[in-house]
Amino acid sequence: MPASSETTAAPPYDRDVAVPLGGVRSSYPGPSAHISRDSSLAWWRRVLPVIGSHRAIFFIGIGLSFVSLVLQTLVPNMLNGAINHDLLHATGGLTRDVVRITIVGVLAGVTGIVSRHYVYRVAYNVEADLRSLIYEHLSWLSFSFYDRVQSGQLISRANSDIRSVQMYSTFAPLIVVQALIGVVAFGFMLSISAPLALIALVVMPILYVVGLRMRRVMFPISWITQARLADVATIVDENVNGVRVVKSFAQEEAEINRLADAAERVAWAYIKDAHLRAVWSPWVQNLPQLGLTLVLFFGGQMVIGGHLGIGAILAFNAYLMMLQAPFMMLGQLVMMGQRAKASAERIFEILDENPDVHERPGAFDLEIRGGAIDFEGVDFTYANGSVVLEGFSARVDAGETVAIVGRTGSGKSSVARLLTRFYDVGAGEIRIDGTNIADVTLHSLREAVGVVLDEPFLFSISIFENIAYGRPDASRDDVIAAARAAYAHEFIEELPEGYDTVVGERGYTLSGGQRQRIAIARTLLVNPPILVLDDATSAIDVHIEAEIFAALRALLAQRTTIVIAHRISTIALASRVLVLEGGRVVASGTHEQLLATSPLYSEILARSEEA
Amino acid sequence: MAWGGGFGHGGGVFGSHSSTSSGLPFGGIPSELMDEATKLLATEPAHEPSHLHFSPVASAAERRPLSLWRLVGAHRGYLVAASLLVIISSVVLQAGPKLTEFAVNHGMLPGHHSLKVIVVCSLIYLAITLASVLLQRLQTDVTGVLASRVMRDLRVRVFTHFQRLSLSFFTEEKAGVLMSRMTSDVENLQQLVQDGVAQFALQGLTMIVITAVLFSTNVVLASWTVLLVVPALVTLSIWFHQASERGYLTSRDRIANVLADLSETLYGVRVITAHNRQRRNIVNHRHVVGAYRDANLYTGRVAAIYGPSTNMIGIVGQGVLLGIGGRMVLEHRLSVGALIAFFLYLNRFFQPIQLLVQQYNSLQQGRSSITRLRELLSEEPDVAESPTARVLAPIEGRITFENVGFGYDPAHQVLAGVNLEIAPGESVAFVGPTGAGKSTLAKLANRFYDPTTGRVLIDGVDLRDVTLSSLRRQIGVVPQEPFLFAGTIRSNVRFGRPDASDDDVAEALAVVGLADLVARLPEGVDTPVHERGQTLSAGERQLLALARAFLARPRVLILDEATSSLDLASETVVERALDAVLEGRSAILIAHRLTTAQRADRIVVVEHGRVSDVGTPAQLLSRPGSYRDMYDAWLAAGGRDVVV
Repeated sequence: MPASSETTAAPPYDRDVAVPLGGVRSSYPGPSAHISRDSSLAWWRRVLPVIGSHRAIFFIGIGLSFVSLVLQTLVPNMLNGAINHDLLHATGGLTRDVVRITIVGVLAGVTGIVSRHYVYRVAYNVEADLRSLIYEHLSWLSFSFYDRVQSGQLISRANSDIRSVQMYSTFAPLIVVQALIGVVAFGFMLSISAPLALIALVVMPILYVVGLRMRRVMFPISWITQARLADVATIVDENVNGVRVVKSFAQEEAEINRLADAAERVAWAYIKDAHLRAVWSPWVQNLPQLGLTLVLFFGGQMVIGGHLGIGAILAFNAYLMMLQAPFMMLGQLVMMGQRAKASAERIFEILDENPDVHERPGAFDLEIRGGAIDFEGVDFTYANGSVVLEGFSARVDAGETVAIVGRTGSGKSSVARLLTRFYDVGAGEIRIDGTNIADVTLHSLREAVGVVLDEPFLFSISIFENIAYGRPDASRDDVIAAARAAYAHEFIEELPEGYDTVVGERGYTLSGGQRQRIAIARTLLVNPPILVLDDATSAIDVHIEAEIFAALRALLAQRTTIVIAHRISTIALASRVLVLEGGRVVASGTHEQLLATSPLYSEILARSEEA
Repeated sequence: MAWGGGFGHGGGVFGSHSSTSSGLPFGGIPSELMDEATKLLATEPAHEPSHLHFSPVASAAERRPLSLWRLVGAHRGYLVAASLLVIISSVVLQAGPKLTEFAVNHGMLPGHHSLKVIVVCSLIYLAITLASVLLQRLQTDVTGVLASRVMRDLRVRVFTHFQRLSLSFFTEEKAGVLMSRMTSDVENLQQLVQDGVAQFALQGLTMIVITAVLFSTNVVLASWTVLLVVPALVTLSIWFHQASERGYLTSRDRIANVLADLSETLYGVRVITAHNRQRRNIVNHRHVVGAYRDANLYTGRVAAIYGPSTNMIGIVGQGVLLGIGGRMVLEHRLSVGALIAFFLYLNRFFQPIQLLVQQYNSLQQGRSSITRLRELLSEEPDVAESPTARVLAPIEGRITFENVGFGYDPAHQVLAGVNLEIAPGESVAFVGPTGAGKSTLAKLANRFYDPTTGRVLIDGVDLRDVTLSSLRRQIGVVPQEPFLFAGTIRSNVRFGRPDASDDDVAEALAVVGLADLVARLPEGVDTPVHERGQTLSAGERQLLALARAFLARPRVLILDEATSSLDLASETVVERALDAVLEGRSAILIAHRLTTAQRADRIVVVEHGRVSDVGTPAQLLSRPGSYRDMYDAWLAAGGRDVVV
């Protein structure tokens, strides 16, 4: 099932099952190629398959672009001929030349429009492909990856890096075509006058070097400027949000001076930016003029000597103008290439990550008969080296409700994470109804084991959709029933838009306890045969917790349940308690038995009540 | 450190290069640019620290309405220089084709061969090319310095105005608006002053110069040229800018959706995995990405039409020019040199028109930014310092509420007829249900708001008769939400008294019981903290805010639920410290925990915007009333840590 293990094509997905956020449906079919898995290849060769999946329109675009540019280079030569023959020697044929130029102009325009249309289409499709590939890859990565990586950084990287790869990989060919046109134009210039062509072109390599140098120095300063603008924004943000503190301590003057200093640093960056531009950009803009000066000087003498027609002066002017853009862009190409390479490597680092938890070949769907769970000699160590479980063994009978209790860091939550294979055990095995969970498909395992996590993450969609998250086709009645069982129905009904209230940043903000109740409803709706409550009621008031448990008791009667808890009230749900210490079970029994026999148990409970 | 070498190397895996000086100068700078950036920064001189003076009352100059003209006018020298440079450039730049025409007609045409004319024309051409390099360089430098100085002034001015505005202005919805005034609006103007105005003038003048030259050469052909090219190009450019603007807006909205979806997936990945939602979410993401792609495709189509169409107009224009001009040459009504000049000028029409249309947009944006900033700057503070306000002498700390009424909006009274006197050195706890007006009462005491009726006195002086800073320096407030500024623990503790010594800081930290924690941190008091950072827990943040208040040694201390996130043990430490610090100082304590209230000298019960009961804890408990009811409920619930 994981898409990441495939080397070329992304798996097919049924487009009709999901209703997109924001309601905008698109005909975009998803990527049809993956980047090359071979990390020894050069970066652009690894991206090549993605561009290759659009090769038809890519080649049409590039081809037509070439045609359009060739047509444009014909024009100055035609003008040259028209002036030298039709006008200076009055050979007639002026009308014919006018018609020809007009036709060439229209053709160049039309081919130009069509070619760019195609090139842009490739560019934006490649960008969409890369975005989807990254998203899809991230969707299947293991939790050990997310433990190491900061999400915010991933997002900002994914954004700008994809853009820079896309820009380069689709516009580079276009620039190369433009540069080829330079060759064609140069050919025309040579055919008119070889010596003058060589003289006129002297400035172009200088233009290339100057343009490159300019971008090299301008690029960093623009980043510095952005960073300093961000500093100013931070100060403003702090003074808006911390206005009470500033006013309470009458620190307005200090804050104004802090801002003035930051503003001064921005001003310096802007002045530096302008200065660097002042040094380089006039040369870039005027170097072609220098070429025109040379053409006038040498070309004029050649006209007098009878080696050149006057029209050539015009034609050379036009060609030099035409060459200006490709030479400047070649400089840009080099810069873009360096950026794109670095960006691509950062993207590959994501795409080359493999999930640690994967299905064995021949994995089969888990079949639940009762739902008895066996932990046998389980060891588990997090990637950062902290040993959590060592020789953990326990049995939970079918239909039994067991609480796991332990100090902070004793590995309670890891038990839940291993049971759903968010992580894999280091040693030992976990069996459900006698089947090792490492042998079954991930999908069927997670369908069978419902976990309510300790952090109740809700999505910024409606409450209805949040509860139906694991069963999107659930009926309204089912959703309400689940909400009632989690004691969430009452407060949801009181929200401005009831079940249709959107949660989140711009939506309604829920309290921690309310979020937990929705998270419980979300899992109850799936109706899993095995249920794990991982500190799932920590933010819920004790009396509401009691109501929830009253409702749950009936539901839990038929299913195996593991409750990970701190509070006595939560533990009361279980018929048996396991005490975890040093990565293994050190005591087991009913609450009353443990209170009598295990000093550790009493200590843990007392400490939890303190906090 | 770009994201090289795998993920697992500690904190900032994605390379935010933290630096010792303020903020993060390299926040997100790509590693491949680091060397150049470091070299650039080495050329930066040390800036003089600012020593601006803050006055809560705006001066006459600051009251004059903002306009671009006034802003720029403050740097008149630069303005004059920039204008002159623009005018000279626009003329000089257009000399090339005219020189070519002269050289052709008087040096190259059959019968007019003259080497001297060609050499002289070429040399003049060379000279003016070099001159325009110099002119452009000077102009870019001058407008760059001008724009940067103007915008620095503007930033300071707008920010100073922020500081004058009252608390009532800083509501949540306005926070975003204030941010965008200080960032995007000022940056719009920066662009406008640096490039926009100069470009607009330069391109406008260029158009005029070219048109004038064309008409002085040949009126008939000039009319044809202008008629053929200008209307088509202007129409096309306006269409392009409107269409692409629309496209960019849609595309910007949709990329925001893409990133929001990605971000939600990353944060919710555990839930997604637990609920087997990956496939469905991938399909959903394809729709979101596809919608973004569709917006881009629209923008792409618009751009695909614009560029080549402009070329087409140029080439067809040249064809028509050849037809009409060529006939005129054949009929000897036009010289070949002049026709060539026309061709050369024709190409030069395009850039100015395109740039003008583009600059017109930024000109409009700049104007609306000016309007928005002008509105902000004309905003008057509700709590204004009276022109005759005097400095409040060191106070004893007697606070008197005299028949005080107040409402955040006039229709809705929060407080009515409050009479209360707090004696110097007395600690008073405000208790009562949420929304009863406890915090509001406290906010009136340090003049975050003015009462709508009645008055608030300190040592018998109406708060409205003294300067704000002399008042607030003597009253310390610790709010429930402890706000930390980007900086270190030290700079945050010192916030109210920036000149405090390290010993003072250490003492303040010790008093609130943070000394051990700080000692455990590898960087000690230099540990960086910031508002959304994770270094400190909510309780530790509150302790830091308390330390900040203690260090400032105010005469009166207001704690507005300042210990709500603390566990009982820490609260006890803080309260013991409070007893020591409050020795001889007046204090207002707003608390949900009755343990806090019980320690106060007197308790004020606030209900429905009125003081319903006042007395020592013992008195209030000895008679029936709301306080005893609260206390009983609290005892019944376990007598500990109960929210009333």
